[in-house]
Amino acid sequence: SLLFLQSCKDQFLDKPVQGALSDEVLATKKGVDGLLTGAYAALDGQGDFTGGSGWESPPDNWVYGAIPGGDAHKGSDGGDQTPINAIATFTSGADNGFYNTKWKALYEGVTRSNTVLRVLALVTDMTDEEKSALEAQARFLRGHYYFELKKMWNMVPWIDETTTDFNQPNDKDIWPMIEADFQMAYEKLPATQDLVGRANKWAAGAYLGKTYLYEKKFAEAVKVFTEVIGSGVTSNGLKYELVSFKDNFDAATKNNAESVFAIQMVANDGTLDITNANQGSMLNFPYGTGAPFACCGFFQPSQMLVNMYRTDASGLPYLTDYNSHAVKNDMKLTSAAPFTPDAGNLDPRLDWTVGRRGIPYHDWGIYPGMNWVRDQPYGGPYAPKKNIHRQKTQDLYADLSSWAPGNAINVLVIRFADVLLMAAEAEANAGSLAKAEEYVNRVRNRAADKAGWLYQYVTNANPLAGFSTTPAANYVIKPYPTGTLAAKGKAGVLQAIYYERGIELAMEGHRFFDLVRWNAADTAINGYFNYESKVTTDLAGGKFLNGKNNYFPIPQYQIDMSTANGAPLLKQNPGYN
Amino acid sequence: QHVSMDVRQTRVKTVLKQIEQQTGLTFAFDEKLLRKTPEVTIYASGQPIPAILKMIEKQTDLEFRQVGNMIGVTEKPHTGQVTEKNQTDAQAIVRTIKGKITDEKGEGLPSVSIRVKGTSDGTMSDIDGTYSINVAGDESILIYSFIGFTAQEIMVGARSAIDVQMQPDVSTLSEVVVTGYGAQRKKDLIGAVSVVDVDQLKQTTDGQVTNQLQGRASGVTVVSSGQPGDAPQVRIRGLNTFGNNNPLYVVDGVPTTSIADLNTNDIASMQVLKDAGSASIYGSRAANGVIIITTRKGKDKVKVNYSAWFGMQTPPRGNVWNTLNPQEQAQLKFQVQKNSGLTLGDDQYGYGQTPVLPDYILPTGAKEGDPGTNPDLYYVNPNYTSVDDFNTFNQIVKANKSGTDWFHEIFKPAPSTSHNISLSGGSDQGSYLFSMNYFNQQGALTNTYLKRYTLRSNSQYNIGKHIRIGENLAYSISDNPKSSTSDGGSAIAFSFRMQPIIPVYDIMGNYAGSRATGMGDAFNPVAMRDRTRYDKGLDNRLFGNVFAEVDLFNYFTLRTSFGGENYSGRWNSFSFPSYENKENSNTNTYNEGSYSGFNWTWTNLLTFHKTMGKHELTVAAGTEAYNNKYWELGGSTQGYFSFDPNYMNLGTGSGTRSNYSSRSLDALYSLISRVDYIYNDKYLLGGILRRDGSSKFINERYGYFPAVSAGWRISKEGFMQGIPWLDDLKIRANYGVMGNQINVGSGNAFTTYTSNRRSSYYDLAGTSGTGALEGFERSQIGNPDAIWEKDISTNIGIDATFFKGRLDVIADYYVKNIKDLLFNPSLIGTQGGGNVPFVNIGQMKNKGIDLQVNSKFDIGRDLKLNATLTFTSYNNKILKVANNTNYFDLEGRGFDGASIVRNSVGNSIGQFFGYKVIGFWNSDEEIAAANAQAVQQTGDPNAVYQDGAALGRFRYENINGDGQITAADRQMLGNPNPDFSYGLNLAFNYKQLDLSIFFYGVQGNQIWNQTRWWSDFNSSRSGAKSKIALYDSWTPEHHNATAPIQENASSFSTINVPNSYFIEDGSYLRAKNVQLGYTLAPAFLKKIKMQQLRFYLQATNLFTITKYSGLDPEVSRNNSANASQIVFGIDEGSYPSSKQYTVGLNLTF
Repeated sequence: SLLFLQSCKDQFLDKPVQGALSDEVLATKKGVDGLLTGAYAALDGQGDFTGGSGWESPPDNWVYGAIPGGDAHKGSDGGDQTPINAIATFTSGADNGFYNTKWKALYEGVTRSNTVLRVLALVTDMTDEEKSALEAQARFLRGHYYFELKKMWNMVPWIDETTTDFNQPNDKDIWPMIEADFQMAYEKLPATQDLVGRANKWAAGAYLGKTYLYEKKFAEAVKVFTEVIGSGVTSNGLKYELVSFKDNFDAATKNNAESVFAIQMVANDGTLDITNANQGSMLNFPYGTGAPFACCGFFQPSQMLVNMYRTDASGLPYLTDYNSHAVKNDMKLTSAAPFTPDAGNLDPRLDWTVGRRGIPYHDWGIYPGMNWVRDQPYGGPYAPKKNIHRQKTQDLYADLSSWAPGNAINVLVIRFADVLLMAAEAEANAGSLAKAEEYVNRVRNRAADKAGWLYQYVTNANPLAGFSTTPAANYVIKPYPTGTLAAKGKAGVLQAIYYERGIELAMEGHRFFDLVRWNAADTAINGYFNYESKVTTDLAGGKFLNGKNNYFPIPQYQIDMSTANGAPLLKQNPGYN
Repeated sequence: QHVSMDVRQTRVKTVLKQIEQQTGLTFAFDEKLLRKTPEVTIYASGQPIPAILKMIEKQTDLEFRQVGNMIGVTEKPHTGQVTEKNQTDAQAIVRTIKGKITDEKGEGLPSVSIRVKGTSDGTMSDIDGTYSINVAGDESILIYSFIGFTAQEIMVGARSAIDVQMQPDVSTLSEVVVTGYGAQRKKDLIGAVSVVDVDQLKQTTDGQVTNQLQGRASGVTVVSSGQPGDAPQVRIRGLNTFGNNNPLYVVDGVPTTSIADLNTNDIASMQVLKDAGSASIYGSRAANGVIIITTRKGKDKVKVNYSAWFGMQTPPRGNVWNTLNPQEQAQLKFQVQKNSGLTLGDDQYGYGQTPVLPDYILPTGAKEGDPGTNPDLYYVNPNYTSVDDFNTFNQIVKANKSGTDWFHEIFKPAPSTSHNISLSGGSDQGSYLFSMNYFNQQGALTNTYLKRYTLRSNSQYNIGKHIRIGENLAYSISDNPKSSTSDGGSAIAFSFRMQPIIPVYDIMGNYAGSRATGMGDAFNPVAMRDRTRYDKGLDNRLFGNVFAEVDLFNYFTLRTSFGGENYSGRWNSFSFPSYENKENSNTNTYNEGSYSGFNWTWTNLLTFHKTMGKHELTVAAGTEAYNNKYWELGGSTQGYFSFDPNYMNLGTGSGTRSNYSSRSLDALYSLISRVDYIYNDKYLLGGILRRDGSSKFINERYGYFPAVSAGWRISKEGFMQGIPWLDDLKIRANYGVMGNQINVGSGNAFTTYTSNRRSSYYDLAGTSGTGALEGFERSQIGNPDAIWEKDISTNIGIDATFFKGRLDVIADYYVKNIKDLLFNPSLIGTQGGGNVPFVNIGQMKNKGIDLQVNSKFDIGRDLKLNATLTFTSYNNKILKVANNTNYFDLEGRGFDGASIVRNSVGNSIGQFFGYKVIGFWNSDEEIAAANAQAVQQTGDPNAVYQDGAALGRFRYENINGDGQITAADRQMLGNPNPDFSYGLNLAFNYKQLDLSIFFYGVQGNQIWNQTRWWSDFNSSRSGAKSKIALYDSWTPEHHNATAPIQENASSFSTINVPNSYFIEDGSYLRAKNVQLGYTLAPAFLKKIKMQQLRFYLQATNLFTITKYSGLDPEVSRNNSANASQIVFGIDEGSYPSSKQYTVGLNLTF
């Protein structure tokens, strides 16, 4: 027996790995396509690789783009998810764990994209064209992940498919590399794809334009945006167009003509889990007595945002003094106390963006105010709406298998209205003010289309019975009369564009990054703290410090991890210690 | 003819031989008859032969008849002898015998018991060892006895003075104990081995051996849980790795990782191998220490033993969480509004100056007679299956104005019982033991229990004199539902988070909860526990081995053993929809899963043993192969039409389905050798070398684990002979290497990819539904260069026996240097995801002292005391974590992303980290002054001293003097590792009564009391709060407070960051066990044909002395994940130990 064991001991100790694949197995056309699908799958920022909870790395940036930009309060109550409160008030240090989670989620996307590129080089059963088209998708995705990193942290290390030492310094501006990835994708991607979720040429073009805009290369941006607006189609071949405003935020009408690039969400996908069902927004549902959602009362729109939807008699916004025309709220009122909603002029987009007292909350019933709010003095009276699924189609699009709701509403990375407003901005800076005005008005005209408004219920007792023909509020909206905007000059046009982005793209995670790149964050955000602190208690101590808070701090843990020869390679952003 | 002789307890045959030699007489006898005759004691100085023969006749059943020179020996008839004897005694003259008793060195020996054989007369020796006693007749026999010495019998004869020299009883030292791949006499041990007193161990009535081990062995730290079936945390000599620190168990020679299902009644012996000298024979699995267990074997004639006990656990009484009553809770709400400058008032409590409790909380604040409280409006369907149905619910809930005692709604008195029967026997043909145990421990927390059935069959067959074949097999079936978490989301935590104004049930008997306005977000813990009622599971395991032993050429023994375990289990659970909470689950989900595993160990060992004059040599060499396979399978489905547990299975749900499976394989192959040499019983040497090969390692597959040991029995040296109080003294030392690989997964060496529906699938087609397409992600980053973790251990120890065996001391000092510690530190984020491989990166050091003291006293003639003290201390220090970082953090809990535990270089594993509270901000001036200082020191006009500094909040200590509180001001706040722990067992014996008391204590550790995060701060969610929050929190009038100001907002300066508010002293002393037993007199038992019968009463966890404010200072965690193995001492509502009162009996016939 001793001899027997001796002779076969080497075999005895060779145990194959179970349930896993090697590089070599994946180096085929099918395998590398699977790796590419995996690179798409990181778009939602959800998975064990982040080491944190789903809401710490939300793909719609509600924590990092919407709340710090003044779109919304953290919500819930004081003790809940306090790191978001620190982010909202710019009192957060580099050791706030949320930053680390977001960082890891994005670099996982970079890693998966790089893996595609690395393994692709080993594949033998593909033509060069096939390889190039696939490479272009991977580089589009990598461009997206780096774009997110860039706008969050500015200086981040560059890792590509050739990197072997992953401890790299953040000493280079990576805009040129991001630009190169989108440029390649714009050149090599087909106009349409077999599957609608794939990035196409025009998505790459729009993202390239967005990159130029952030780089303030306005002339290049005008050129590419003009091509995109003129010839762009979606991956499923629909000519880019503005659809009914509300259809952007409904799973039933996803991947429509306005969807330039979207993160695809699914409900009830067999995991009994909401990882693929907007998990990043799982906390952002009205919460309280009788609220039909399990969780959790976060992401409550601000009073300031609501005020921005006030229109004047001619249906135009109060570009500077909107807070002097505040919209009536139901603060300190119980749900049982009587309340009449504001009767003044309002932009109809308000009621697809914000849930407010007395107004139909999709088909869930009249929003009751305090009963659906967790702590009204703390987070204000409102609820988010763009991320909320419909009751009527919840069997299809809501995923209730976890302790908090999930749904199949896509996260819109770029939608056509965004492209138009970005193009307007580029035009205003380096092209035609008239063209800029035209783009802004195209967006406003869509909002003015009565078919896309919110209407009162046929009967409040049965919200599922449908909507009447009476608008839910006094909607008055008009485009800028032709030529009047352009006549205000570049600064005036830009002011209107900035404002239009604020109300068109509110609660979609853009605002903070927009304010920073416009160098408008200091005034806007400190003004917000001033105004909003009189409404709620949660923003006490909030202060935006220009030069520091323009970017988030590099996660302290990553800095610590980058130590080589006694000193960290990663350098902290200015102002953080 | 006259003969002189002085024989004590001597065989009759030997006595007759002496007479033959002195006289020339010959005895004719039957060998068989003499063999069964008891030993005799005779004293005679020149007495005639017949007198001596008469003495023998009196002490035995023999009769002598002289025929010439021949004396015939026969058995006498069984009549009248007792009476006759008594008559003779009565006629004899009573006289006094005096004398002095000395020990083997001639020193007077006090307290020796002296009795006259066959009578109840007796006395004791005094302080000098002198005594005097009355005897009747020359043939009286005196029995001298004393613990630690061999008892002696002496016949008085004609003497009036008898001096006696007692000889020490070395039997415990000669006791053979099982060690690694062999057995040694206790006195020859040169490694650090704790020999556990199994009888004492078993006095703790528990289903798990490891729980019983607490405080019973030096060097072993056990943290147990109040939850039935929870495997306690067992640590031998501190912490050795950053992951799994569980010791290796070796049961009847078969290594295993779990002994949770071992029937505690089956244990015969237990040894803990603590250092390299004893444990490195187990090579790559030895570093966490080895616990060797031998199960009982049969011997002698057939014996049946039945033992049983019944116990009742009583959960802690009173307002255990110090929770406010409903009126006080409402007052706190108003106080907070006052503190925050808000208008007073609340929908539930009204808008007056003082809160008024409502009659109903749902509808909000309703009074009796409110139309909304009309029961006709009530609608709740507790077993709803559609969200639309749920959306129409209208629940009506009365306020419980007197307050619900949530803790006692889920903690109830709970019974435990155990029945054990064993049958054993043996002869020179072989031996057998068969046992059965039924163990049923109900947990104090509802719906937690452990029901276990175990069977054991141990047998050995002797084929001739030199071949032995046998088996040890145990089969167990366990049913053990547990409460799975010990964090803020567990039912226990909800018992302090749930507001007391909420009743358990609503007006129609459905569950009430936090659904009502202002009632926080806690879940109804009663509902939570009740909804686990369909959760079932069954685990079974066959464990054991078959073996054969052959003796070869006198000195060799060849042993082969094939053993291991085949285990499997299944479980199912059902998640009910909920309706009473703020956060409800609207789905119903049924989960079912199973696991199974098979591993075997095949050991072949050749042992050589020979004693040559003063030399004794043992050499062993062999091979061992270990193969392990493990499988898992499970799934879940939603959408059940009926919640009948008999209906639900994975096939009958209508909703989404999911399934999973996994498996793993690993193997070890080892060569083993050991040498033990003893010279003249004085010098002891040992050597061990083991080579292990592991499937988990690729580039360097084999590791060597050597150890050398030496011992010197100084007391045997001539120069030590004159020390009267010292019986035995041995100094021993060893040095060696133990290995560890337990944390490394089987795929560690390879970079691999996998598909994962949750995180690598993507709905490229935009289906919104089930159309997500398969994608791949990296599952593992490989490290082919990983090798064994090396635990380099040095141990110095002494074994000493003092004062004629009355005092035994075993003391050890050790240092363990852990090198190449396998750790999977988080990789830099730019590397991306996948399991991080284990690399040989960390370093750690442990040192400490283990001490065990046993002492035995005879307090009075019948009153004996046996005291055992164990003392364990360890000091753990991390020397290196990874190349680029010197710490890793664990446990975020409710804070803002910062962790509670920081494991950092220079500190111990598990230490608590954060800001130190040095007081409150008592005035605005104080804050302004601090801020001004910050501005001055930093030169930044915006600088503030501390984020969120405000009146009544915490002021933190600035340790770097930079004028600002930053992350750099965090410091170590406490250490959950105790300075030392100890166990003291006092056992008293008085005639038929025995009493034992066992104390266990832990000293110098800190606890992170996270329950205070929930209870002492208003802003930590709107749950129930403590009396401290209302009565001892900061207000402008009350600066000398415990808790900070109560407010709605939470802040960096209150509960957003880990700080020292949560640190408490965790030292405690607990009366673990008090037992009073009564053993029936043997004379009575003989009548009812029994060998032994003992009854006992017992109290477990009778009292605890501690300053800790929480429920139980023994904070347990029932989480088996590797990462949490080194997190301990955090209390967020851990399952407390209960007091238990037990009655039991032990019967042998």
